[in-house]
Amino acid sequence: MADLIPFLQNIANGLLIGGVYALIGVGLTLIFGVMRTINFAHGEFVVLGMYAAIVFNQALGWDPYFSLVVALPAGFLAGVLIQRVILATIVDAPEESSLLATLGLSLIIANSLLLIFGGEPKSVLVPYASSTISLGGGVNLSIVLLLAGIATVAAIGGLYLLLNRTEIGRAIRGTAENRLGAELVGINTKRIHAVVFGIGMMLAVAAGVALIPLLFASPTTTGTVFTLKAFVVTVLGGLGNIGAAIGGGLLLGVVEVLGASYLTSEYRDAYGLVAFILVLLFRPEGLFGRSVQRV
Amino acid sequence: MNTNLFGLALLLVIGLAYPFVLPGYLTVGITMLLFIGWATSWDILGGWAGQVSLGHSFFVGLGAYFVALGQSRYGLAPWWSIMLAILAAAALAYVWGRITFGLRGPYFALSTIAFAEIFRLIAINEKWLTGGATGVFIASLPEPFGIDLFSRWTQYYLALAFALITVGIVALISTRRFGYQLRAVREDENSAMASGIDPTAVKLKAFMLSGALTAVGGGIYGIFLSFLEPHVLFYLLLSVQIALTAIIGGRGTVWGPAAGAVLLILSGEVFRTTFAQANLLIYGMLILAIVLFLPRGILGEVSRRLVRRRYARSAKS
Repeated sequence: MADLIPFLQNIANGLLIGGVYALIGVGLTLIFGVMRTINFAHGEFVVLGMYAAIVFNQALGWDPYFSLVVALPAGFLAGVLIQRVILATIVDAPEESSLLATLGLSLIIANSLLLIFGGEPKSVLVPYASSTISLGGGVNLSIVLLLAGIATVAAIGGLYLLLNRTEIGRAIRGTAENRLGAELVGINTKRIHAVVFGIGMMLAVAAGVALIPLLFASPTTTGTVFTLKAFVVTVLGGLGNIGAAIGGGLLLGVVEVLGASYLTSEYRDAYGLVAFILVLLFRPEGLFGRSVQRV
Repeated sequence: MNTNLFGLALLLVIGLAYPFVLPGYLTVGITMLLFIGWATSWDILGGWAGQVSLGHSFFVGLGAYFVALGQSRYGLAPWWSIMLAILAAAALAYVWGRITFGLRGPYFALSTIAFAEIFRLIAINEKWLTGGATGVFIASLPEPFGIDLFSRWTQYYLALAFALITVGIVALISTRRFGYQLRAVREDENSAMASGIDPTAVKLKAFMLSGALTAVGGGIYGIFLSFLEPHVLFYLLLSVQIALTAIIGGRGTVWGPAAGAVLLILSGEVFRTTFAQANLLIYGMLILAIVLFLPRGILGEVSRRLVRRRYARSAKS
């Protein structure tokens, strides 16, 4: 029994952290599924969310979660703008072009943040940082993690409703299935691409805001870490599959937390990467995906 | 070929004269020459064979570590260490390529990142192998024929030789059978197969050559740094820098990567005070501009225009 409680504690923490990873992965996989763009700047979008929360906290004293009110619409608009200005012009170019363009974008974002805010890691200290809620039986949940989890559930729930219950959601799913076909039945796929990239960036920004009370953000390294995590999550689940990205995110969160407490943590990042290569090689459709015959 | 010979001669002359004209900028010269060599080596795989790798910093680190550990642990002279590094790099590239060449396009690029990151974690954590996160120090080097390898002048000429050799090899390849095979595989693997080329074998050769040459530059870089840290040498951003240098200059051209290296290192110097640590900002803006406006890279676009003009003229007459 004594071993069970810390185990449950770890599972709970892992699921909550994993929820945030899922949020990042869902955005990446949505963008890939609809636009076939491998977004290398995704981690930098997360960092932008972190810095937005930091700026609002330092300048106006806002709680990080309150800054979502501004950060979410701003993230959406920035995403639409990036898609319209950069990615829309190379929509028919080879797949590598969008990879290189977003790689360039990630360098621009990371180094601009470095120029503006300097290199030292920053975070936001919230008064409830160490408060917990007891779930009974000795398992406690930190308020910060719980809020991050709630934000994740709300965002993914919202996305689910958007995709399955609205007209624009239908158009997005249609575009993902077959761009030409969607175009033929009157869907403006250019607009859909812009909306999807906006949503993807918004989800990444939300994840950044949710994470900032938990960790420090540094302009040039944090983004890369999250881009890699997002790739691991989405490839584990199968690129382009939203449900699987959620599963992949939760899995990565639990594995990381369990690994850190039961194994030596030196190779924590390597396990994810090895799994990433193996899945890419042997099950490119993802762990939870059905295999699809492609023409 | 004649233009390439002329170019190599020009690079040789400018390269030899540079330290006498600008003796205060030797380190800039060394960095530039190393990047000419690295970007050109990268281009054998990334440009000529069309397989974008974002893991080439691994080969830089491999070369540097062979030189440092060979010297400090086994008393092995750098030239022997570099030869061993060439063998090791080619062998590892062979295994690495065997595993991942089934992946196409962006998926191959993603897998190279994952591979290089795993190697970086090994370099940081396996103290017995690499000296761990604290790094390795090259305390002493032999003096062949009384040449001081620690002197910036020596290192400069080593880097010059490295740049000349890599560009020379690519110039040679570009007119040989292997060069045509590489281009055939890049354009369409299925049609290449139909004309009797084994794409995997060609890509493997390209990867091994590319990795081995990069490791040579890495060995010189190791002597230049003389203090090696795994965080610096196996860094993802070094891979990104090498790849972007070649792509900005012009993939699949003999002189494109060299032009890219000159442009990027020079602009890095010019904006050093403005951007300081954030000098990769230039890479980001340039690659974005290249992807949007000059998808063939700077020299790629120039040579395309020249070829067009030549054909237009011959058609007229």
